[in-house]
Amino acid sequence: MSNETERNVEDVGPGVMGAATSVREGILGYIIGLVLAALLTAASFAVIYTNLIWGPAIPAALVALAVAQMGVHLVFFLHLTTAPDNTNNAMALAFGVLIVALVIGGSLWIMDHLNQNMAPMHQVMQMQR
Amino acid sequence: MSTTETLPFTTAPSIDPYKLGHDGRRRRPDDGGAGRDYSTGHGEGGPASKRVIVAYGFWIFLLSDIVMFSAFFAAHAVLRSATAGGPSGHELFDPRSVAIETSCLLLSSFTCGLSAVAASVRSQLWTQLSLLITGILGLAFLAFEARDFMTMIAQGAGPQRSAFLSSFFSVVGLHGMHVSAGLLWLGTMMAQVFVKGFRAVIMRRLLCFNLFWHVLDIIWIALFTIVYLMGEGL
Amino acid sequence: MLGKLTWNAIPWDQPIPLVAGSAVFSIAIAVVAWVVLKGHLPYLWREWITSVDHKRIGIMYMMLGLVMLVRGFVDAIMMRSQQALAFHAPGYLPPEHYNQIFSAHGTIMIFFAAMPLMIGLMNFAVPLQLGARDVAFPTLNSTSFWLTATGALLVNLSLVIGEFARTGWLPYPPLSETTYTPGVGVDYYLWALLISGVGTLMTGINFVTTILKIRAPGMGYLRMSMFCWTALAANLLIVAAFPILTATLGMLTLDRYLGFHFFTNEAGGNMMMFINLIWAWGHPEVYILVLPAFGVFSEVISTFSRRPLFNYRSMVMATMAICLISFVVWLHHFFTMGAGADVNATFGITTTIIAVATGVKIFNWLFTMYGGRISFATPMLWSLGFLVTFVIGGMTGVLLAVPPADFQLHNSLFLVAHFHNVIIGGVLFAGFAGLTYWFPKAFGFRLHEGWGKAAFWLSLAGFYVVFVPLYATGLLGMTRRLQHYDVALWYPWLLAASFGIVIMACAAACQVMQIVVSIRHREELRDETGDPWNGRSLEWATLSPPPAFNFAVLPKVHGEEPYWDMKRRAIETQQLPAEPEYEPVAMPRNSPTGFITAFFATITGFGLIWQIWWLVGIGLFFAYATFVWFAWRDVEEYVIPAHEVARIDRERRRVHDEWLQQDLRHHREPA
Repeated sequence: MSNETERNVEDVGPGVMGAATSVREGILGYIIGLVLAALLTAASFAVIYTNLIWGPAIPAALVALAVAQMGVHLVFFLHLTTAPDNTNNAMALAFGVLIVALVIGGSLWIMDHLNQNMAPMHQVMQMQR
Repeated sequence: MSTTETLPFTTAPSIDPYKLGHDGRRRRPDDGGAGRDYSTGHGEGGPASKRVIVAYGFWIFLLSDIVMFSAFFAAHAVLRSATAGGPSGHELFDPRSVAIETSCLLLSSFTCGLSAVAASVRSQLWTQLSLLITGILGLAFLAFEARDFMTMIAQGAGPQRSAFLSSFFSVVGLHGMHVSAGLLWLGTMMAQVFVKGFRAVIMRRLLCFNLFWHVLDIIWIALFTIVYLMGEGL
Repeated sequence: MLGKLTWNAIPWDQPIPLVAGSAVFSIAIAVVAWVVLKGHLPYLWREWITSVDHKRIGIMYMMLGLVMLVRGFVDAIMMRSQQALAFHAPGYLPPEHYNQIFSAHGTIMIFFAAMPLMIGLMNFAVPLQLGARDVAFPTLNSTSFWLTATGALLVNLSLVIGEFARTGWLPYPPLSETTYTPGVGVDYYLWALLISGVGTLMTGINFVTTILKIRAPGMGYLRMSMFCWTALAANLLIVAAFPILTATLGMLTLDRYLGFHFFTNEAGGNMMMFINLIWAWGHPEVYILVLPAFGVFSEVISTFSRRPLFNYRSMVMATMAICLISFVVWLHHFFTMGAGADVNATFGITTTIIAVATGVKIFNWLFTMYGGRISFATPMLWSLGFLVTFVIGGMTGVLLAVPPADFQLHNSLFLVAHFHNVIIGGVLFAGFAGLTYWFPKAFGFRLHEGWGKAAFWLSLAGFYVVFVPLYATGLLGMTRRLQHYDVALWYPWLLAASFGIVIMACAAACQVMQIVVSIRHREELRDETGDPWNGRSLEWATLSPPPAFNFAVLPKVHGEEPYWDMKRRAIETQQLPAEPEYEPVAMPRNSPTGFITAFFATITGFGLIWQIWWLVGIGLFFAYATFVWFAWRDVEEYVIPAHEVARIDRERRRVHDEWLQQDLRHHREPA
């Protein structure tokens, strides 16, 4: 109740379009996002189901396309920007991404080592044959 | 719906986010320390508005949800070859179905965005219509996914067959559960918008629903890339 | 009809749980009857059960934590006495029972004693210190509390209906899979933690949002109190780590209920993955516990040394460093599982690095005290006890961080002594320090100093007498969780440890006496001014207890210790600042949503545990219905009119003015 007038500039909540966006601009933003995302999706499927990419590079290509598509969603659908009024939102996302990287990356590294060193007996004997 | 109308998306005045010009904003006296910078994010202006608080809190919740998904993704990555003599992804996945599911979800994300535009100009008709289409596309997604699951189970490739299949059904199923919960929420929102109109609290909830639906699509991107497409390649 | 539930679920043939259960049940019935017959129920319902006020919720969390602390302590007494008796003898607790006791002890202490104590302190103090009126999502806050209570209730129900897990406080597979635990014990554990985990996650979201978005005008990040910084770090960890717990326990639940193969022996399951994922949560969890504890000590040490915290900025850096590094150390809980030298060495190094950040904090606390005028009130005693005890515990932690050493000491009593050292020395001491420090603010009267000091000294002595022998037995090769043993070398140590538990029991009795005596003598212990300790942060600017809206007008913050500044300015200008313009204040309405949702969550949980599916359906349906009903309400707030705000604040100004005039007459100055 009090102090509402004290604020000069405020953070923008996530998912909120910037001020002064007309309906036309709003819809256009979503259309561009849709088209880009669709293209990237089609590209991902193409990578797997055609021979356009060299085999060993396929995982890298897929990851790149997926990250690009997530970026399209974040920018065009979630209106995440790098402006100072979006800092909290971007920082939160960065924190989340860091945790995800640590959990998935860490688990893969650890489990890989564990699986190699602690293979079940019959597997160890097979490896030694 | 005038196309030149300004959308009242935020309560913030027209801002100069990179402070490129001094637009004559009233500045408080400099009292040193951390109080110097009045640009956003530092909270010196007192508590944020309810809209920002709700949206940010929900954003944090969504990030926690993403972490939960990442644990299931990690499990799937670890168990990707634990097929226990049973079928692998390559033998089971139907690319056409996955493509249809992806398109449904992407289009539904688009129509959800349109509903946000419609809500901002307080159009009951267009909001309900776009929400309805979002819901129908979501239901279509679920229908195809359920059909895929049934087919796999009928072939003896259910989640009890192997660790790989357990992790597959779990991670995809978790996403499907979120979509289902989202559809339940969508129905409730449509009812609320119809009965209560576009008051501030309803607008905040619609904003949260938008965030939720878009993030679900982002998670699907990771899902179809890692689980289906990479699983295909394996 | 009733799933797996039969009359045999009640332990008719086990005297201890039967007697204990009947006693608790009778006491509960007696208390409820007294409340209802004396007509207190409407008051309780209106002022506490449906309250969304962070202060009330914080107090309820503390009460839950303290009660569960006693329950967990009883388990500890049973374990120590069993081990004292079980040398070349069976003791008095059969193995199946003993295994449930140590599992329940760990589960209850961590999830339902330590977490609620820290969350309770954060709930009470953080909004006040931020100069805010409440947290970001008050009804969600209430729901969090009641869901935590649900979890506690389910775990305690297992004592009399069914059994608890026998797997230890973390249910490692394959023991926790259905093949080896067909009973309901692990299910009680899983659903209690899945449900209360939701509550905790919501608390994390609530406080991150509150601390980042709801602060008084002028309070930039580097002007928040240290307790708020540590609360921010802990809640960020909750948001990041608890989803992993939910996921991992969820996977185990899927294995048990639907025959999935995440962690089974057959069909490709990988039980090492459970251990990996659960500790990826488990390590951040202990920092979630200890960071608010550090925050409490920052507040208490600076207040009772009459000096601002030394090197605030490095404290903030150290806190955020601990927050981040805590996510890259988790493998040190399973060095011996076989990941190999590379992986072990990496995590050993990161574990050692995190100790550096804590060391920075210890030195800052020491330098805060140096040159100050120290007052040895009870909160300060707990802090001094912490400084010594926690450092020892931390050092044994660094010893364990060296993988080759850990290969000797993993799962020995050395490990057990280490983590009790840091949790008791850190979290428990902080709980009591915070309790005695903020009690006057919460209730308007101080706790009795004599009993408080007795409780402290007995706790300190008791802790060392219990756990130093356990360090010794650990080094002599004793493994944890032994129901009986034959090694003569360990016997005298374990005997000494059981003597220590008697000392700790006396300490617990002193805590109870402290509360009883303080309530009885509350008029003499009355806190007249709202600032019994000459505090430095904003919560002391209100009267005790604070009004519902905390501050009549949100304070304008100009520096790091806003209330200290306010006092100094008042003394310099020889008057209070001018009376502000009072405006009406809108506060969130009370709501039974939290309580009712938790009620149906309990029903759902119970149904899931005993596989009573129609009960599950009812519970879920009504939980959802409650949510929709809450979402449909039209009026979210109630308004306190300006004249009422003014009346309350003028009373505060009158008290502060009197105090100021007294001070000026005695020419007192702040340090």
